[in-house]
Amino acid sequence: MKNKVSELMDGELDQQEAVNIIAALKKNDQLRENWETYHLIGDTLRQPSKLSINVSHKIKAQLINEPTVLSPQMPQNLQRQKYKVFAFSIAASLIAMVTGWIAIQNLYQPQQIMMAERSNKESMMPVVPVKVSNPPSSFVYQHPPVEINDYLFVHREFLPGTTAQEPTTYVHPVNETYERYAR
Amino acid sequence: MISRKSIVILLFIPLISQSAFAQELVTSSEEALGWLRKITNAPRQHNYLGTFIYYADGHIETSRIVHMVDQDGEHERIEVLDGLPRIVFRNNDEMKCYLPEGKKIYTEKRWFRKFFPDLLPQLTNDIDKNYDIKLGKRERVTGYDCQVMTLIPRDNLRYAHKFWIHSDTGLLLKAAVITGDGIVEQFAFAHLEIDGDINSELLKPNQTVLTEEWQTTNLLTSMVNEGELAWQTSKLPAGFKKLVEMKRHLTEKQILVDHIAISDGLATVSIFIEPITEQSPPPVSGFFSSRGAINIYVRILDGNKITTVGEVPLETIKLIGDSVFKQEQLSITNVTKTPKH
Repeated sequence: MKNKVSELMDGELDQQEAVNIIAALKKNDQLRENWETYHLIGDTLRQPSKLSINVSHKIKAQLINEPTVLSPQMPQNLQRQKYKVFAFSIAASLIAMVTGWIAIQNLYQPQQIMMAERSNKESMMPVVPVKVSNPPSSFVYQHPPVEINDYLFVHREFLPGTTAQEPTTYVHPVNETYERYAR
Repeated sequence: MISRKSIVILLFIPLISQSAFAQELVTSSEEALGWLRKITNAPRQHNYLGTFIYYADGHIETSRIVHMVDQDGEHERIEVLDGLPRIVFRNNDEMKCYLPEGKKIYTEKRWFRKFFPDLLPQLTNDIDKNYDIKLGKRERVTGYDCQVMTLIPRDNLRYAHKFWIHSDTGLLLKAAVITGDGIVEQFAFAHLEIDGDINSELLKPNQTVLTEEWQTTNLLTSMVNEGELAWQTSKLPAGFKKLVEMKRHLTEKQILVDHIAISDGLATVSIFIEPITEQSPPPVSGFFSSRGAINIYVRILDGNKITTVGEVPLETIKLIGDSVFKQEQLSITNVTKTPKH
């Protein structure tokens, strides 16, 4: 029967025989394992070797010394360990994805918003800083107080391009908030 | 089959190798550091006269510069040609900014840099620690052959910079600040004459300024010794150091503001601490951005407004702003008029 499975894979069976062997494969677990093993061997043979060292003689020697077990029964405790490693890798991947997503949110969101605001600016408007967000992360769009220009003027040490007007003073009453922010 | 012990060892390999790499910091080439020294020395060795352009966020501003070196040091005049007129005269670190529209003069002492093309007056090892300095190809800027240099940040706490350095003199002819979105701000000469004769009359205010009544305000009142300001920083982000502590006026207001200047060798950050008074408008805390590479963070602490301003990413601005705290005992008795550098 094993030979028939092999012939089926090689396309050497006629239609009726192929139907019969496929039906047998569905019922017989041992045959299905043979089918999978043959496919694995075939896939391996078809792929060019990417190994830079020749280990074929070692494998040949090992095969001579060991009985051929195509589908070894895995011990129960080893299977559990395998599942643990699998679950660990899934969890690690999820943590990495979530961390990456949070990092991207924290790092890039403010800058994206800044660029959006800048693109709306008139090119020849005087320097008016644009409010990006409130700490820690909620974003509010409103014009900042003009007194920040005083700080910019001093920080940039009169550098051209930063403050188109002279430093402003606190001339606006407290209740004229909108007028003060509108510059 | 891989044992559990093996898995644990495999998991630790990246951590071990990462810390090993962190300790072994690669420094920039000696040739690149040599070009940095040329940038620092050039404005103290060469005369120049020309027009440069500041460009950021679609905004262009043209300025005319006259720079002369003699036995007394550097003398410079920068006149902003677009928008409201503004003329800055500089004699070494002493600066005077004339605003003809308001008939106002602001005096100030230079505490770091900012006068293109003199962007690196104080060269320290910090710049090499914080940036990977690489030399690029040769390019022409305003008719002069230039060496291109990129300063790539070694972490995400600062922006990248690109310099075009005149091959013969080391003078900076073009400078750009680069973020992930590209160039956000740049200076570039549009016209330049190097080492020509400079008429010293060009470096003096004209007769109108001398005869008319101008209101003069001294912005900087004093530089203080380190740790003397009531407000201090606890833990600055990696690579940043305190440059200087100052007490200053912002405008004509009587109230004095504490000013702490911080640098990583190239980028600068200022922290201003101003008491909130009944006369001052209600402070608005939050994050702001301004033209070019500038980011701003305002927070309120103990009845004071703390404003952090600098050409660094918003995250860095927040780290610096959040590091500010008030010292228990205020000691401003040893105020000195002498700058530290």
